[in-house]
Amino acid sequence: MLSLGPLAFAAPWLLLGLAALPVLWWLLRVTPPAPRRIVFPAMRLLRGLVNPEETPAKTPLWLILLRLALAICVILALAQPLLNPRSPLTGGDKLVIAIDDGWASARHWDEMRAALDELLARAQRDGDDVVLLETAPVPGPGAAPALSIERPEDAHAEAAALQPRPWPVDRDAALARLNGLNPSGIAQIVWLSDGIDHGDAAGFAAGLEKYGPLRVRGESGNALPHLLAPGNPDDQDLTATVTRADPALPETMTLRVLGADGRYLAQSDVTIAAGETSALARFVMPAGLRNEASSIVIANEASAGAVLLLDERWKRRPVGILAPGAESQPLLSGAYYLDKALSPFSEVRQGDVASLLQGGISVLALPDGPPLNDADKTSVTAFLEQGGTVLRFAGPLLAAQEDDGLLPVTLRSGGRSLGGALSWEQPLHLAPFSPDSPFAGIEIPDDVTVSRQVLAEPTPDLAAKIWARLSDGTPLVTAQQRGKGWLVLIHTTSDPEWSNLALSGLMVEMLRRVVALSQGISGATDKPLPPVQVLDGFGQLQDADAGAEIVPAGEFSRTLASPHHPPGFYGDADSRRALNLAPAVKEFSPLPELPGAERQSYAQRAAEMDFRPPLLALAFVLFLIDLAAGFALRGILPRPTSWKPDTWKRGAALLLLALPLWSIHPARAASAPEADNFAIQAASEFHLAYVLTGIPAIDTESRQGLAGLSLVLNQRTAVEAAEPMGVDVEKDELIFFPLLYWPVVAGERAPSAAAAAKLQRYLATGGTILFDTRDASLGTPMAEAQAQDQLKRLTSGIAMPPLIPLPPDHVLTKSFYLMQEFPGRWTGGTLWVDPAADQVNDGVASVIVGGNEWAGAWAVDEQSRPVYAAVPGGEGQREMAYRFGVNLVMYALTGNYKNDQVHVPAILERLGQ
Amino acid sequence: MKNRAALRSRAEAAASSLPPLLIAAERVASSVAPGTHGRRRAGRGESFWQFRPYEPGEPARSVDWRQSAKSDRLYVRESEWEAAQSVFLWRDSSASMDYASTPNLPSKRTRADLLTLALAALLVRGGERVALLGSGAAPGHGRYMLESLALLLERGETGKSESGLPDFENLPRHGQMVLMGDFLSPLEELHKRVLRFADAGLKGHVLQILDPAEESLPFAGRVRFEGMEHESPLLVSRVETIRRAYIEKLARHRDGLASLTRLAGWSFGVHRTDQPPQAALLGLYHALAGD
Repeated sequence: MLSLGPLAFAAPWLLLGLAALPVLWWLLRVTPPAPRRIVFPAMRLLRGLVNPEETPAKTPLWLILLRLALAICVILALAQPLLNPRSPLTGGDKLVIAIDDGWASARHWDEMRAALDELLARAQRDGDDVVLLETAPVPGPGAAPALSIERPEDAHAEAAALQPRPWPVDRDAALARLNGLNPSGIAQIVWLSDGIDHGDAAGFAAGLEKYGPLRVRGESGNALPHLLAPGNPDDQDLTATVTRADPALPETMTLRVLGADGRYLAQSDVTIAAGETSALARFVMPAGLRNEASSIVIANEASAGAVLLLDERWKRRPVGILAPGAESQPLLSGAYYLDKALSPFSEVRQGDVASLLQGGISVLALPDGPPLNDADKTSVTAFLEQGGTVLRFAGPLLAAQEDDGLLPVTLRSGGRSLGGALSWEQPLHLAPFSPDSPFAGIEIPDDVTVSRQVLAEPTPDLAAKIWARLSDGTPLVTAQQRGKGWLVLIHTTSDPEWSNLALSGLMVEMLRRVVALSQGISGATDKPLPPVQVLDGFGQLQDADAGAEIVPAGEFSRTLASPHHPPGFYGDADSRRALNLAPAVKEFSPLPELPGAERQSYAQRAAEMDFRPPLLALAFVLFLIDLAAGFALRGILPRPTSWKPDTWKRGAALLLLALPLWSIHPARAASAPEADNFAIQAASEFHLAYVLTGIPAIDTESRQGLAGLSLVLNQRTAVEAAEPMGVDVEKDELIFFPLLYWPVVAGERAPSAAAAAKLQRYLATGGTILFDTRDASLGTPMAEAQAQDQLKRLTSGIAMPPLIPLPPDHVLTKSFYLMQEFPGRWTGGTLWVDPAADQVNDGVASVIVGGNEWAGAWAVDEQSRPVYAAVPGGEGQREMAYRFGVNLVMYALTGNYKNDQVHVPAILERLGQ
Repeated sequence: MKNRAALRSRAEAAASSLPPLLIAAERVASSVAPGTHGRRRAGRGESFWQFRPYEPGEPARSVDWRQSAKSDRLYVRESEWEAAQSVFLWRDSSASMDYASTPNLPSKRTRADLLTLALAALLVRGGERVALLGSGAAPGHGRYMLESLALLLERGETGKSESGLPDFENLPRHGQMVLMGDFLSPLEELHKRVLRFADAGLKGHVLQILDPAEESLPFAGRVRFEGMEHESPLLVSRVETIRRAYIEKLARHRDGLASLTRLAGWSFGVHRTDQPPQAALLGLYHALAGD
């Protein structure tokens, strides 16, 4: 191999052929091209003219050069030039490839595989033997099989089966395996690393270098994988911590919450600032959606570390508080304090027993109150038996009641007053929680005192029922298991009347434990947890295979992800526990400096490039040119002078056709002719217009919707609407359109300041915008809030008038059709208008806001068939949607004309009054 | 009625079969001579030419008594001389005539056929009798003659000669003949033929039709020229070097043609296929009508 800088020739002796070029030159010079053949009548005249001495005609110089270039191309191609050739191995005939196949390699697995294949291909070409060292432990029982020296073909088969493992690598063990083999005659060691330290990188590199020169491949910086760690399960919102290895540069990524069936539930962008290694992602979701969440993933990063599995602990359990009727003095109501204490970590509902139980709750909290009636008692008992938790609070009313059977202990009648005027005792503090209590570990503030309580009758089983005591040993919290559920009694009030417990943070903590206890999830299960679903290396959930082992009883919280216990869901289908990878990851930092090793990223390395195919292709092209030139010289091709002008025109036309191929991309610039064309088109006919959101699906729907409405307008009214036009608020002039349809979608860019000023002017000079928030279908408060946020963002630069729900006598209800409902593709959303004064703009409201996705109802395809179903009313609803559209256009075009008293008799007559 | 309908259908059939060459020739001819022209001299004929005073010795019946009665003198009515003349047309039909240097130009043969037919149309319209030399047909006149002429030309059967020169025939004296061709054959041959015809008392007009490429030899580089009449090919290494000599040689040849026709009292013209045919036709027509 001959090397010239980055260029090398695989078969350099063939370059000797270049020496023959002068000979070729001479040969080409003396061998003229074949003459052109011309048929000519006046041969008699010609014959005498020709000189008898016929000098050999010379081949034109350019043709010689062309043919020499052709020859050079062929010779160079045969010599096989290579750019960035892989240097040959020296000093041995073995190649050791260490490959990190832990979870962190999943992000760059394709590059790693490509590098591995390249190495193996080189080894195959050079006939080197290969040792393939995988650093991740293998699943299943028993030690990893011993390493062996393989032929490259066998190594290729082994490499093809490699997949990233969903657990961390164990490089020390891998090094031990290599030491066990102790190979000699190693030419090079290549470590295809995942770029993460894992705490053993330096030692591993040092161990490898003992055997030969080490080359390390690995990504760095923001290309390193990320790790999703659980946030606080008890946080108000769903949270997750994104961790990265290299804190150098800021980085933004998108996190998504997925349901068990893979549905998107929420999405959040999280930015890790420069210098930080982690950031907290927060998902604001309604409790219903949050409880469906099954995992959080980093978008566009497939690895076991980029998936956070969520189990029951992340779910917010709904708690019902019995609160009959509105309280006139909320600060004296026990339910108020309970609400405040529960709302940070659970979804709180208030109501009577029947409605609470019907709505589905985990915990039923009963503050002190009047006795339950029999029906309620029966349903609460049934709730308990089925696994619900009932949390009762004592109080003056309970103390005065008979035992209603919904108490864990028998109470002494009356109650106990501590520290009162007639008592010698002081208000008591709480005793520390016993270790077997569910409250174990909660710190008790000094200032929490109980001044009154109800007392339990001392019975033999009382001690087992006590969860918390006062400092004198009397029970403060007692509990009893009833059926599958728990009945818990706090022996004092939920308001501050008997104790300041209700005002303390201790109350919140205790309630949190009680809520967490509900639905059968306790701190420590006594059942072994078999794997249900486990993650593979790319973060996809798979059914557990034989490699995953059962987590022994009680050890789940101490279990780390490992080959024996891959990350995934464990337990049974009813109560799954999530085992996440993050706690098992040690030393999540980039590879340290490795002295003596050559570092290269996967992308950085220029692949070996073989110039033979392009050179041969060039030679072929030259050959074709030579052929054409030869034909031209012999007069077989038509001469350029006799070409018709058409030929040139055709050629030019072809060139012009080809031009757009490379001029497609340049950004659309609002050149003056374009703006003029737009103005001419917009002003020459009446167009309905929609705002281009930049989201193709939405824009298509808007266009089809307005096309459908135009059709109806043309059929039914005097309005002659032409094709709808899409309007870019940034670029296009709006003044031509009486009405703009603006779908409000997430992800739409807010208009720039200039565009906002234009919109402001448009509204002020009589334009009307229909904002369609398209949210009536979703119905959830969150979606509505999101749509409103988005609308706020879009209109941030515009002085929006205050809006009111459409009054029933508004012109929109009678501008063409008489109607009171304004359905679109959905129905039920409220229509908001700005209460324009009659003197301004003919009383036409400048802004109309609704969420019924009208364009969807109006939309027709090319055959004028409806595109989307109208829900729930079907075709009747679509007709009403069209009528709304007609009314809207009429309203925008005619203003308050129909509001005129002149029309009142006719309208009244049609209304049948 | 029935007869008239049959006649009409026949006429239409005849019209529809009008050869395209004839149509083209008619178009060219009509642009040259719109209408019949007499011989512009007194002679036998039907149309009035002039009154002239009676000269003694003339027969009395030649006196136009009506005119003479208007005055004291006697007048003789003369009609225009309309003696029909026989014109023999010939065009070269050798293989070398099939040459056109570019597809945009008509071949020399096409142009020669067009000129022949257009001239015939003009002559027939003028009342002359026309025949194609070498076809063996007697000179005729009228539209029918024209159509048969067109058919003969289109089939290209008549007057096939390898030499590119007309064969001698016995022709009526005082006839005229028009020869068209490229006349690239040696001058001596042509001289002999022309003298032979001239000796037979025929007047003639020679039109040399050439392609522009034959005049200017616009080729360059190494060219192998191949003749059209089985001549051996000729390799020229650089055509541009002999172009000047060729043009001079062609000019000499043409001078020779002009002088030999002048010797015979004939006229000579040159026509290039990139020129409009009307110019050549006008020249020929005037040459024919001039004497």
